[in-house]
Amino acid sequence: MTKTDAILKTRNLTKQFDGVRAVDDLSISIAKGKVTSVIGPNGSGKTTLTNVLSGLASIDGGSVVLHSVALKKIRPFDMPSYGMTRTFQEVRLFEQMPVLDNVLVVLTERSVFGALFERHGAFHEKQAEEALKKVGLWEKRNEPASTLSYGQRKLLEIARVLALSAGRQTDIILLDEPFAGLFPKMVKTVSSIVKALRDEGRTVVLIEHNMDLIRELSDHVIVMDSGKFLAEGRAAEVLERRDVIEAYLGE
Amino acid sequence: MEILSQLILNGVIAGALYALMALGFNLIYGVTRFFNLAHGVLAAIGGYAFFTLSKTLGLNIYLGAAIGVAVAGLAGYGFDRLVYSTLRKRKASNLVLLVASLGVFTTAQAALSILFTSNFQTLSSGEAGGSALSLFGGVVTRTQLVIIFSSIASMLGLAALLKGTMFGKAVRAISDDEEVARMVGINTGRVTGYVFFIGSAIAGFAGILAGFDTGIQPTMGMGLLLKGVIASIIGGVGNIYGGVLGAFLLGLVENFGIWKIPGEWKDAVSFVLLIVFLIFRPQGIMKR
Amino acid sequence: MDYILHLAILVIIYAILGLSLNLVVGYTGLLASGHAAFYGIGAYATAILTASLGVNFFVSMAAGIIASAGAAFLIGAVLSRFDGDYYALVSLGFNVIIYSVFLNWQGLTRGPLGIPGVPRPALFGIEFSSGVFFLALAAFFLALSFLAARFVARSSFGRVLKSIREDEKAIQVFGYNTVYFKLAIFVISAGMAAVAGSLLSSYITFVDPSSFTVMESVFILAIIIFGGLSSLKGSVVGALVLVLLPEALRFAGFPQSLAAQMRQGVYGLFLIALMLYRPQGLFGEFKL
Repeated sequence: MTKTDAILKTRNLTKQFDGVRAVDDLSISIAKGKVTSVIGPNGSGKTTLTNVLSGLASIDGGSVVLHSVALKKIRPFDMPSYGMTRTFQEVRLFEQMPVLDNVLVVLTERSVFGALFERHGAFHEKQAEEALKKVGLWEKRNEPASTLSYGQRKLLEIARVLALSAGRQTDIILLDEPFAGLFPKMVKTVSSIVKALRDEGRTVVLIEHNMDLIRELSDHVIVMDSGKFLAEGRAAEVLERRDVIEAYLGE
Repeated sequence: MEILSQLILNGVIAGALYALMALGFNLIYGVTRFFNLAHGVLAAIGGYAFFTLSKTLGLNIYLGAAIGVAVAGLAGYGFDRLVYSTLRKRKASNLVLLVASLGVFTTAQAALSILFTSNFQTLSSGEAGGSALSLFGGVVTRTQLVIIFSSIASMLGLAALLKGTMFGKAVRAISDDEEVARMVGINTGRVTGYVFFIGSAIAGFAGILAGFDTGIQPTMGMGLLLKGVIASIIGGVGNIYGGVLGAFLLGLVENFGIWKIPGEWKDAVSFVLLIVFLIFRPQGIMKR
Repeated sequence: MDYILHLAILVIIYAILGLSLNLVVGYTGLLASGHAAFYGIGAYATAILTASLGVNFFVSMAAGIIASAGAAFLIGAVLSRFDGDYYALVSLGFNVIIYSVFLNWQGLTRGPLGIPGVPRPALFGIEFSSGVFFLALAAFFLALSFLAARFVARSSFGRVLKSIREDEKAIQVFGYNTVYFKLAIFVISAGMAAVAGSLLSSYITFVDPSSFTVMESVFILAIIIFGGLSSLKGSVVGALVLVLLPEALRFAGFPQSLAAQMRQGVYGLFLIALMLYRPQGLFGEFKL
């Protein structure tokens, strides 16, 4: 991979919690229009990395380079304007709102005045409908999100991201363990969504544990261990490496 | 110079009273993690229990005070059993508990006004606050000295209880992590009940002392509560030592504040202090 | 008949307060506990401008809305940094501060004496001085407030408010700077509360600080929690029930002198019972 087609990079990125370096001097590049899996044993700092990238955790050292702009500070509400969106490992839905509203709310006007005078038009409804149909939740649209099953909740998160990325052309999508706890049928749905996103030219950063899915979906794999960069390359090569296997076995 | 020592004295006296409120409030917050806004009415309950026993029925004042403190403690314990513990078992959010405590506060305060009228009553007999003494160039009444000493004694007593006993260990365990405390076999419901008893009893004590210093009124709870809460937060919420520190800081700031501006602004001054802390040092003086 | 008109007007005033507060508490999930402050700013604006300066009522109401919204903008700039129980506490603190201003800025508000002689509204020579006319005027403003609240609630803005209530961090990640949304709804809500205040001071023809205490804020909170959080219909029904219920108690033979205390006791018990048995209230869609 050449440096020029990297859409998202971290440069010596560091994040500490109470003196523990959850992300430690990490420098990685994410290629545009590819599926990059970030893997590593539990506690290797993958989720902290997504939280730093999405502004939910502050940057303690180093920087994040997005579209070749170096950022020392990311505010969470700036994410979409950087063309980035995410899902959460521990699903975060708007529980007491209907399924449809969970999707509509990411599509509407961002400014206070704009939103105040906006009635969601057919345009937003259509995008939300498309996204919900892709994950098979359109029939549930009027039910509160809190009534969904675990797997459906994960799918709704994905629908939210799909709607946002379709509506606002966010081209970087961070998926934090989207497959965990899903039934095989739902796994199929999500993996075909990931492939479709790549085919549309979007950049997907996938945090995942399931090796079969990583092999199937990734163009590139980055391995983290104890917050540090450990290895990268094609899935088939990286997953055979002794140090990578040891990192996992040492868990 | 005299003004200065008087202001410091007044600040310490006020701080001692607020410290008593903060002690109980923080103790309860530590194990339950919600703002118990009914805490203030327990001071009024203690004050009125004492008023009934010693002034109306003529009981010995020490005995009256002891029973008054116990009544406040039992009332707090009862509120926990009847309302809060049920909500906790349902894993209600801390806003639900806060609103419920607001309901307890309002109901109990209304009950006190119906039983005892809304009039101002003084607890001390004879000249208000006992004879005045001169101290470091300032004037302090006997009652006020009692307030200062009993506040310090309550803090030391509570500290000893939390440090030296199994009960104290259980309280600290629940404060750290209730789930874990329950798993190692602590009866968290019962310990929390005792904590409500102790915290509320201290508030009742504060109410009696405040009644001796100035007087009692059914509505006295809100003022004392807010001072206790502000002291707790600026001291470091859930940290009983921090709360005491915060109480004295609050007492001093209030009294120095009204040196230059009229005394009616006292409550506003204390909230401004709170807001300044919340913006610039939200974790308080002593982090939990 | 006059008595019924009187109650109807009170219900309307509290319904407007409930509608406006529900936008913040029910829709946005922020437990604002100082609504009486903005109610008071509207009332004082009308009292001062009409009684002392002879300004037309409707102009004074507009001025009240602007003053209240302006105060809410400043207060909200601080308040919007908080959420959960801290939001409740700090908003309550601002109520205390504003109340202190009403009580102590004698030059403007005449302090505890209050401002008498507030005239009834007049427009193009029509005076709304009789009870029926005033009721019609109040009902008009209730309808206007209801439509305004519904406009806000049904907009995209309203949906963002609900998502803030559900998970503020999550909605931020989707590109909303939530501080602005929290501030905006707080300002809108305060402006609406000022309308109720204007109506009150012109209806009673008198205004004093005692109508704008923290207890009054708790009462408004009880109205919307009873009626149902994030239900506009609920706010109106809540005002109806909670204003009329204490009156019913009077007919049941409770003495008139205890009316205020009975009212407090009733809504205190309501709050407790609601938290225990029906935290979403009558028509609520949202549980705290």
